[in-house]
Amino acid sequence: MGTEFLLVMKSEMILTGIIFLLLILKVWDGIKSNTSLLYFVNILLLANFLWGFCCNTEGSLFNGMYQTNELIFLEKSILNLGTFIISLFAFDYLKENDNTLEFFILLLCTLLGMDFMISSGNFLMFYLGLELSSIPLAALCNYDLHKTKSSESAVKMILSSAFASCILLFGVSMLYGTTGTLNFSEMAPQLSTSKLQMLAFLFIFSGFAFKLSSVPFHLWTADVYEGAPAPVTAYLSVISKGSIVFIFITALYKVFPNFEHTWYHVLYLSILVTITVGNLFAIRQDNIKRFLAFSSIAQVGYIMLGISSTSIMGISAAIYFLIIYTFSNLGVFGVVSLVSSQTGKENINDFKGFYTNNKFASWVIAICLFSLAGIPPTAGFFGKMFLVTAGASKGDYLLVIVAVMNMVISLYYYLRLVKAIFIDNNDQPIASLKGSLPLRLALIICLAGVIATGFVSGLFEHITTLAGK
Amino acid sequence: MNVATILFYLLSAVILGGGLLAVTSRKIFRSAVFLLFSLIGIAGLYFLLEYEFIAAVQIVVYVGGIVVLIIFSIFLTHGSGGDMEKPVLIRAVFSGLAAILGCALTYLFIKEQVFIKSNAAAIEPSANNIGSQMLSTTEHGYILPFEVVSMLLLAALIGCIVIAMKVKTEK
Repeated sequence: MGTEFLLVMKSEMILTGIIFLLLILKVWDGIKSNTSLLYFVNILLLANFLWGFCCNTEGSLFNGMYQTNELIFLEKSILNLGTFIISLFAFDYLKENDNTLEFFILLLCTLLGMDFMISSGNFLMFYLGLELSSIPLAALCNYDLHKTKSSESAVKMILSSAFASCILLFGVSMLYGTTGTLNFSEMAPQLSTSKLQMLAFLFIFSGFAFKLSSVPFHLWTADVYEGAPAPVTAYLSVISKGSIVFIFITALYKVFPNFEHTWYHVLYLSILVTITVGNLFAIRQDNIKRFLAFSSIAQVGYIMLGISSTSIMGISAAIYFLIIYTFSNLGVFGVVSLVSSQTGKENINDFKGFYTNNKFASWVIAICLFSLAGIPPTAGFFGKMFLVTAGASKGDYLLVIVAVMNMVISLYYYLRLVKAIFIDNNDQPIASLKGSLPLRLALIICLAGVIATGFVSGLFEHITTLAGK
Repeated sequence: MNVATILFYLLSAVILGGGLLAVTSRKIFRSAVFLLFSLIGIAGLYFLLEYEFIAAVQIVVYVGGIVVLIIFSIFLTHGSGGDMEKPVLIRAVFSGLAAILGCALTYLFIKEQVFIKSNAAAIEPSANNIGSQMLSTTEHGYILPFEVVSMLLLAALIGCIVIAMKVKTEK
């Protein structure tokens, strides 16, 4: 093995480099001012994102344990961009925090885990990546050290993810026992219709469903999201979920193609309940983070609808939607993070009359909510349209009808928030909030992203060509 | 029935019995001790398979390290001596049913499955071999997972320090 592996694994190499740099900075303790530290980290993350477009070398390393191609590089870039935006949002939250550097070390460790996970060609690497991406997240959930709710969220997160991992590992062990290999490519042809392997598939599927928080494995989501600090919640709902979707696609399409008949039916049921339950519960939430938790559950249902089509269109629709979802959901979380870090308010009722004093932030959150709901001029419409089109290609119209009907329901609760912000009167609306420069920059990036990704039609075609390779 | 078979069933009984008692015991300290038996039983299984190194690791890490940690953390929490709450009857019944049915289903499927014996040459499970495999990049080389685990440990360490360093003031 020459030096070429450095280029193939460049995303992981750079992230590891940044993690150790931050660790050394922490030990050295030379930069006292939190603000300059935050600027420095943000610049590093921006560089990390931009570097993702340069010198991409495809390849497979360590006997197929690690593999990468153009599509995986694109997926990693999406995650890097999302992390960069979140680190901009976290600026206000971390300004006064004593453990700024540790926050980023933990955050980047989870990102490293996700990179390893989506590049894995082997169940061992997949599992390790999954753990690396979820254990440090539990510590991040606990970052509001003085709040018991935050600790509760961390404990719920770690217990439920340990449980999910156990089920997944049990499934993997059965597959290993019946095929004698952990490599995706060697395992796939050996999978037949044996009942034990089918059971193993169901266990692995449940593990994935847990991490994706699709119904009926969603119970941890709302509690964890509510207790975690707003930037961490954003990270959980966008980056963490996105990475699982990427590896979920690989697992279904590359490892279990022989089980397509089975997994289509499992996915079918899962989509029906996920979309419906997510939407119906979102209606009754008062806390905005819980509300967004249920809305993200419903969105996962739509992504699974695209995946269920078993086509290149399905892959590219899911990835395209995830890009849009990253911008839209992060836009909403940016405003929530701004409000919660400065006023501590997280209730939907507190947002009444928000428009009075915060014109720009109100427009950002409104446009992002429109995008999440899938209203035409915004990118969310195109994303949902492709997902539903991909889902309809199998000809199961009941599924598509339920999905589209649910889009109407979701419109109700997204607009409820928009109504609270723009129309409802409030005697004491939230005062004018002056976000820091990075936070405003992040809001602008999200807004531009929501509008631009809908109009740059080349993007979807680009993803389709990459997925088709 | 030879000695190995009898030993296997004995060890399995220790593992399963320990596990069952650990889950059903009302005192948390006792649960930890029963867990200890279960883990020792697993080490015994490794010895039976002649995986001496893995068995030694199992004892050093799980029996010596993790259970001791668990017992320590039980002592650090409040009310470690008291009885835990009794679970609601209906919940106990249903979780019992789920466990029994799950076991039965898995057992049926495993029994039905025809396992194919691998023709690949067995790898000597000596400490020497395991060590060189951990650091090798060739076939059966596990250097990448090894390094990823070390990152995981680093992250876990930092996470624990961040959480534990500050004294919590209850809200």
